[in-house]
Amino acid sequence: MSSYLVKRIFTMMITILGVSVLVFMIIHLIPGNPINHILGDFATEESIRELEIRLGLDRSIPVQYFSYMLNAIQGDLGTSYITGYTVVEEILNRIPITAQLALFSMVFGSITGIVIGVIAAVKKNTIYDQLAMLLALVGISAPGFWIALFLILLFSYQLNIFPISGYNGFYSLVLPSITLGLGTAGSIARMTRSSMLDVIKQDYIRTAKAKGAGVYRLIFRHSLQNALIPVVTLIGMQFGYLMAGAVVTETVFALPGLGSLIVSAISTRDIPTVQGLLLFMAAMIIIVNFVVDLLYTKLDPRIQYE
Amino acid sequence: MKRRSFVFFTMLLILALVLSGCNWWNKSDSNSKEGSNREVIVGLVSEPDSVDIHRTSSTGEANIPLYDTLLKLDNDGNIIPNLITDYEVVGDGKEVIFNLKENAVFHSGKPVNAEAVKLSFERLVASSPFSTNAGEIDNIEVLSEFSFKIKWKNQFAPFFINATTPFLAPLDVSVLDDKGEGFEKNPSGSGPLKLKEINRGDSLVYEPYKDFDWKGQKPGFDSVKFRFIPDEETRILEFKKGNVDVLLNVPYQYIEDLEKDSEVTIKRVPGDVLSYLGWNNKLPIFQDVNVRQAIALAIDRDSIIDNTLNGEAQAVFGPLPKAAFGYSEKIETMATDKYTRDTGAAKKLLSEAGWKDINKDGVVMKDGEEFSVDLWVDDDPANQRAAQVIQSQLMEIGIKITISVKEAATIIEQTPNGAHEMLLWSFGWPDADVLNFLLFGKDKSKRLHYENEKIYSILEKGAIEMDQEARLKLYEKAQEMLVEESPFVPLYVKENITAIRNFESFEIHPIEGSIEWTSVKVKE
Repeated sequence: MSSYLVKRIFTMMITILGVSVLVFMIIHLIPGNPINHILGDFATEESIRELEIRLGLDRSIPVQYFSYMLNAIQGDLGTSYITGYTVVEEILNRIPITAQLALFSMVFGSITGIVIGVIAAVKKNTIYDQLAMLLALVGISAPGFWIALFLILLFSYQLNIFPISGYNGFYSLVLPSITLGLGTAGSIARMTRSSMLDVIKQDYIRTAKAKGAGVYRLIFRHSLQNALIPVVTLIGMQFGYLMAGAVVTETVFALPGLGSLIVSAISTRDIPTVQGLLLFMAAMIIIVNFVVDLLYTKLDPRIQYE
Repeated sequence: MKRRSFVFFTMLLILALVLSGCNWWNKSDSNSKEGSNREVIVGLVSEPDSVDIHRTSSTGEANIPLYDTLLKLDNDGNIIPNLITDYEVVGDGKEVIFNLKENAVFHSGKPVNAEAVKLSFERLVASSPFSTNAGEIDNIEVLSEFSFKIKWKNQFAPFFINATTPFLAPLDVSVLDDKGEGFEKNPSGSGPLKLKEINRGDSLVYEPYKDFDWKGQKPGFDSVKFRFIPDEETRILEFKKGNVDVLLNVPYQYIEDLEKDSEVTIKRVPGDVLSYLGWNNKLPIFQDVNVRQAIALAIDRDSIIDNTLNGEAQAVFGPLPKAAFGYSEKIETMATDKYTRDTGAAKKLLSEAGWKDINKDGVVMKDGEEFSVDLWVDDDPANQRAAQVIQSQLMEIGIKITISVKEAATIIEQTPNGAHEMLLWSFGWPDADVLNFLLFGKDKSKRLHYENEKIYSILEKGAIEMDQEARLKLYEKAQEMLVEESPFVPLYVKENITAIRNFESFEIHPIEGSIEWTSVKVKE
């Protein structure tokens, strides 16, 4: 196990390093630069040069990269060219909202997905199964902005139950979490159904049934707990999807989280903020997947990492 | 196993709830109007980059009210005193003595005196990318507590109009840290609104500044919250629901719907941003003045305005919008007479330039080459629709246009290098010097790349002519030449549409287009 841990941590570091190089290259390759955004129509050759020197953009790309990484290792992700705030400040300021959104979405998506998946598996090839799978398909394929507007119109504008936009605690995160969690719910429902169907076919289920186990005991005690292993893995993998989905959801619901920050940072070519955010998000996704892999051994003791 | 899964999900839920600050089912919405009934909530698309005016060119309703300007424009566009009560041009015009009013105070409580203004200018010159707005200042001398003298290296006539913008407004340098930074966290200007709360990415909350000159009355509101709501639909729904009182830049497609609501008032003010069809004048295809004039004659501005902006814009034929100093009614009439759409005349001019529809496919050719150009447009849907109308109008005279949609950041970066052929773009500045520093000045023509010695020598003279009447005459002459040479096609100035609700009074400056906070009174 310990050699596995060392190997995984080393791989994680290499992956984060690779991501940092990729992000740095992409942000410098796309057309447009922060100088033009900051100076607008007042740009003169002199002012462009002065600002390049002040922001350190006059240095070669490799020098900029190594200097950036040297600071990043020490926890300094730089200062936004545009707002004057440090990137760490910006992330710390906004991470609580995105973290809550991701967690609520995950909880909503997991519970809804598992319930729908179980119903579909138990009622296989009935109208319930078809309805459940239709719901899952809608959750996966409906665009986030469309779901968001539909929910706002219904629950905020017409029924006046939730606020339309902005952040003010849990209450304001209900609709965004549903919007973001529906896709996850769809994937989990499909995975739960197929995993449950596999388990239901097993001999030990037939034995339990023969021994007179009740329906609920059969479903929850004997089938679901074994069917959940691949589902939990999927939940971990959905974290990346939730981070990407947060960009659209936070924009529609005007939530000041990391997703909306990255949208504005990209449009203003705010290099330190884009780099810092992408690096942070990549690290989070890698760490969450690592934790899920470790959790896997806890859920199924037969699995051992060597 | 069952227990483990249960624990896993329970922990997820608990973590989420803890993160939400234990604000379980808190229905009180900080963004609703349930709090103070004299609170004004303004809905905007985006947050300003910074509130430090020396660090950003992104100025708007959310950061302008922090500042009080040195001079200001009256409703007819004349420069009138504000923080500066009067000024005197000394000698050859390189020196000007300014007198400040004596009762102005920064939000920090410190007086807006000559020393404070000097320090603010020194920071602007030393470290701001926008110092060109102040001209090349040689030195600033404090003459008395409320009097100072600026000496420029060369005369700088646009200073007075630039002093009506927040770019030259004094900011309180006493709040800065030892590196001269930190204003965005502890801002202090002398404008009508004092910043109370900064919620990054969400809102800026101001209160009326008690020591501001409220014209003998009490402020008609208790606080102002600028909410940043990027999504168009969400913004409109917040306004319709009554959670937002002032909706800036109302999208054109919603105006009709909002006008049906008897409680909503729509305010229209012509903007100061002129949209234009431009091209890279260095390209051989645009060298012939007949070609440039033919393009101008092929454009039907009214059709573009009706089809893309729901009629909410004013057609412009001359090089400057009405809001800019240097605009001339005479030039506008002259340009309108010359370039009102006439496809027959346009085809004739193209033919004179050697462009003919030889193979009868509708596209003119010369020396075996088709007249085909790429038109760059940004990702604003209204601009894209305008580009399509222009494409169709130019096709009528045989010019084939392909449209390339690009991000604004890409257009801004690549047009100074001349990477474009044609572009749909805009500019906005309150002074005719914009013709010099942005459009046609020597080595400054960033988007149009137009070189004309005669024109830019007049524009250079305009920048140093301290007599305003003489200056206007110079700009009139330059514009006359520009109309004749047609290096771009001015198109229209969009209306700034603002929707408001629940106000006894609410005014928007007819020239500057900004909210006049002294006029705002919330309905009790």
